[in-house]
Amino acid sequence: MDFPNIFKGNYKLLAIPPLVLILISIYFIPQIKMGVDFQGGTLVTLNLKGAADAEKLKADLAGEGLDAGVRVYQTTTGYKAEIEVPQSQKLVEADNLKSEFNNLLPDVSLLEVVSMQNSSQMNEYLAKRAELEAVSDRMFSLAGVSRKDFNITGAIEEQKSFSNAYLKIYGDYQSSISKPIEKHISYSSISIQTVSPLLSSQFISKAINVVIFSAVLSIAFVFIFFRTFVPSLAVLTGSISDVVIALGAMGIFGIPFTLPSFAALLMLIGFSLDTDILLTMRMLRRKGDPREKAHWAMKTGLTMSVTAIVAFSALFILALLTHIPTYYEISAVALAGLVGDIFATWGINAVLLLWYVERVGA
Amino acid sequence: MMELFTDKKFLVLVVFFLALISGIIFYPVYSGLLLILSLIVFGILSMLWKDPRIKLAGLAFLLILAIANIAANGLKYGIDFQGGTRIPIVLEKPVSSDAMSELIDIVKKRVSVLGLTEAKVRAVGDTQINVEVPSSDEQTIKFIEGTLSHQGVYWGVVDGKVAISGEDIYSTSIIPLSSQQLAQSNADWGVTFSVNRHGAEQFAAVGKNKADYPVYMYLDRPTNAVLFLSKADIRASLPDDSSEKEALRSLADALELDSGRNISVFITEDLNLSSLPKPKDNATRAIISNETADSVKSALRNSGYVVTEYPKSEISPSFNRTRSEVLTVAKLEAIGLLSSPLLSPGLTTGVPNYGFSITGSVPGTGAEKTAEAQANVKKIQSILKGGSLPVQISLGSRTTLPASLGQEFLRLSLIGVVASLVAISLLIGFRYRNLRATIPIILISISELIILLSILGSFTIDLAAMAGIIAAIGVGVDAQIVITDELLRKTEESTEEKVEHAFAIIKTNVVVAALSMIPLLFSGLVEIIGFAISTILGSLLGYMLSRPAYAAIVGMVIGKGEPVQ
Repeated sequence: MDFPNIFKGNYKLLAIPPLVLILISIYFIPQIKMGVDFQGGTLVTLNLKGAADAEKLKADLAGEGLDAGVRVYQTTTGYKAEIEVPQSQKLVEADNLKSEFNNLLPDVSLLEVVSMQNSSQMNEYLAKRAELEAVSDRMFSLAGVSRKDFNITGAIEEQKSFSNAYLKIYGDYQSSISKPIEKHISYSSISIQTVSPLLSSQFISKAINVVIFSAVLSIAFVFIFFRTFVPSLAVLTGSISDVVIALGAMGIFGIPFTLPSFAALLMLIGFSLDTDILLTMRMLRRKGDPREKAHWAMKTGLTMSVTAIVAFSALFILALLTHIPTYYEISAVALAGLVGDIFATWGINAVLLLWYVERVGA
Repeated sequence: MMELFTDKKFLVLVVFFLALISGIIFYPVYSGLLLILSLIVFGILSMLWKDPRIKLAGLAFLLILAIANIAANGLKYGIDFQGGTRIPIVLEKPVSSDAMSELIDIVKKRVSVLGLTEAKVRAVGDTQINVEVPSSDEQTIKFIEGTLSHQGVYWGVVDGKVAISGEDIYSTSIIPLSSQQLAQSNADWGVTFSVNRHGAEQFAAVGKNKADYPVYMYLDRPTNAVLFLSKADIRASLPDDSSEKEALRSLADALELDSGRNISVFITEDLNLSSLPKPKDNATRAIISNETADSVKSALRNSGYVVTEYPKSEISPSFNRTRSEVLTVAKLEAIGLLSSPLLSPGLTTGVPNYGFSITGSVPGTGAEKTAEAQANVKKIQSILKGGSLPVQISLGSRTTLPASLGQEFLRLSLIGVVASLVAISLLIGFRYRNLRATIPIILISISELIILLSILGSFTIDLAAMAGIIAAIGVGVDAQIVITDELLRKTEESTEEKVEHAFAIIKTNVVVAALSMIPLLFSGLVEIIGFAISTILGSLLGYMLSRPAYAAIVGMVIGKGEPVQ
């Protein structure tokens, strides 16, 4: 299987397609949809007992006061519905009140004990207690309950009533989702995934940490390994371009940014470095005509890319058949990135390297 | 070939192989770790010893170990593939890894009370715990959720009366004593807490003139139960100088409680199975060791008890002698008795007291002593707080998957694995049009697949791990392509040099793949760790074993018949 050496002639033109792709990608990156993992909210996935109509379901749920995005898929294992409910503002507020309350509580408890034995501290206690009550009153009104519903004599009961109110807000949010679903949909299996504001912010900060660590490790490795500036930079440019193209594809094709797609993006860093390193090693450490070496590297590199594309295509077809989101998100991102890698490696990294080798010499 | 079997190096491999295979068969719990160990041992040996036959033997042995593991222990699947229910518990705030493992123990204990030993409890980051049970029965799930969200009730019982209860304690006031306070009270560890007026007055009344009485600290003491102990249960940790009679007397003292909440004790050996003590009503629990004879258990059931079984460690009481030489029960977990400090005389005057402390001393010296003291502090804190999980459980936000659907997903996924393998084989065959290069690639890919499945299946194969396995097949072939392309190239270089060039590239690739995924491994993002593990293991396996083995085979068949050294 032979194909022509694209690096003969004016190879710099090869950079045009990837640059166009990168520009398009940068335009679409802001349109990436955040999944429940990173945005918070609730995702309900149901396997339905019969066929269903997404528009009708959406209208039915809206009739019950539930404003949700509804999608229905036909899969080999039957009909499947996804209902996405955005983060409730009430829940976010309740979470904030809770941390405010927990900050005040130790002081109030302490002062309460002290003031029972020593009345000179009474005023200080009452002032702090009023502050705490103000926070719990806000929670009570969020939960639609009143202070009178509880028999509050001290900080211990205050805390109990406060947690009850908090749990009620949580419970109300959940039943506002589950009741309309129970009423209108008959299903054989259900998954309700609620990501709280706290958990989603944790996912985000962890993901950012992972990205920083991966990037630092990979960049450090490339520089230490090649020890020359331009080739290292070329390798990293190729790799970053690839990730940008994958992100752009997520924006264009509506692949949500979730934990699985995040994992796939990380894998892409490794994979795109693979082809970039193959190219650079052959260009810098082997004898012969640079353009021939580039062509030879490309033959090997393309075979590698195509086998990986075949494997992920199998996963992608599996995802289309079963509509398992984990499969879909990983395979779609990987496929986009692998195709992007072909452009990025042979259009950007190879062009930069050839220019460097022919100008400066290896 | 014959001389291989008498080669010392080969014999070393055989010894390792035999040790590892018996480990895998006899210690199924560690089979996954043992397989990873085998991968590393055989990998290092095959990198050290240049003989290509050794490299091939290493891979073959690992493959046999993997198959033996699947045959003997089977593969474990997550609920995505076997059906079941996942219940997330969301913590109020992030906790340290120590606190997390403690919480996981509490949750495990609570779930295991229900007899759901197959339940899996694991941490998701530092703010969530997932409980997975292989059941989608609505009744069971409701029951588990109830148990998990239930807040424990603490009682301090003095002389048959509740002197102090958890609902009168300020939970934020429960803190360890400072080292100064410890020095003052001449103790090794201590916990202080404050109570409200109701608590102070109740304690003053109950504790009056009860100096040196034990305070039996109960967590979730059953209110309607009878305890059935065997003589062996009582004897298990009874001091040598004590009689059974004395032990029974101290048990009766610890179990006494007013308002009809007394727990009676019976010795199983002395029971007359045809006329057992009558249960109070049809909810009365018979608390009994799981080693008790079935005849006793069924007799108890027949006379109307709800039989609850506990392991020996939880039902055998442990005892203490007080300064005045009285034998007291220190611990009896089955009924929630977790500790029994003595009441100090200063607290028994009848005057309400708002601040309390529980102190104790531990034997030993140095780090061991400190650790023991800290463990005591943690235990007492957790009892006083009602053994509660500092959590709020998001009821309803759970996943239920019927077993039939899970099996369907598994079937389709395995078809996907096979399909990708077939597609890649066709592609490689088409690319090289050379059976001698293609068949080894396919065979090695199949072995890699089996080894990966076996290792991951010793832990749990979930959706992310399955996706990772399919990815590893595609990416794993890459290095073999690099080798093949180098070898098939017509240059004056020797086969040896070519393989060296190929390996330089492969080595860097493996390092890069591992570097980009390792941060994910330590991130605590459990949902996608399976993907990271399969990708990293795939690279490692390839670099250490299957690629050297492949180079050996291909060197023999493509090169001039010379094995590659």
